[in-house]
Amino acid sequence: MADDFYLRYYVGHKGKFGHEFLEFEFNKDGRLRYANNSNYKNDEIITREVYVSQSVIAELKRIVEDSEILREDDNNWPAPDRVGRQELEIVLGGQHISFTCTKLGSVLQVQNSKDPDGLRIFYYLVQNLKCFVFSLISAHFKIQPIQK
Amino acid sequence: MADDMDHDDRAQGVDKRRKGRGHRDTTEWADRYGGARFKELDPNAKPGPTASVEGWVIFITNVNEEAQEEDIHEAFAEFGDVKNIYMNLDRQTGFVKGYALVEYKVYKEAQAAINEMNGKMLLEQTIQVDWAFRKPQRRR
Repeated sequence: MADDFYLRYYVGHKGKFGHEFLEFEFNKDGRLRYANNSNYKNDEIITREVYVSQSVIAELKRIVEDSEILREDDNNWPAPDRVGRQELEIVLGGQHISFTCTKLGSVLQVQNSKDPDGLRIFYYLVQNLKCFVFSLISAHFKIQPIQK
Repeated sequence: MADDMDHDDRAQGVDKRRKGRGHRDTTEWADRYGGARFKELDPNAKPGPTASVEGWVIFITNVNEEAQEEDIHEAFAEFGDVKNIYMNLDRQTGFVKGYALVEYKVYKEAQAAINEMNGKMLLEQTIQVDWAFRKPQRRR
């Protein structure tokens, strides 16, 4: 199953407002699931699901491959802790990575870590993936404000 | 979300190269959804491209890294009124990441944009244009 593909990203923490997290998942059929949970002001979970085309999946694979994240390992990355947790799980090109890390607040935190180069790749890939997903979800679900 | 990846791998006798703490560190937060279902716009639709909440969205790739939103608007405005454009930058380099989403109100306009612009040149690069979203149908 060398053409198998899966991608999931999670970032979250537990605190005053419950288990606050953002998570999204793509499978190879193009099913995108998105979830954002917080109990801030008694809010409830937001979930969205849509099927994206194979063009979108192909572009997602390109973004992942270009980042070269599959060459990295999370051995020397700061582990999840009370501050928070990130998870990145990808199946692509016969590889299956499942990386965990604490929340990353800044490039300085990346720079001062034990594996700045690898962690930097993770740091920017996560940002690019979020941009990608937020745009897809907004384009499909968000109603635009009325322009005067 | 899906926790059955491992079962599939072993069942097929496939030995994927595995890396990462996440394989060993099973989170105690596995039941974070509390049974919540995932909201879709139209769960009972027939196969094909699908409408988004206020229009039809197309997906463009291989966009030149120096493209501006104006360039996209100019290239795609001839097919219909462009309701929305998303074109993200690479977070590290600041250049355009390479993809864009364009929305039209009407199916015909989006289909025309796909037909006319797929495989055409934009800022000296050959772009691909396709639907962004489709109705659920298990791909074989």
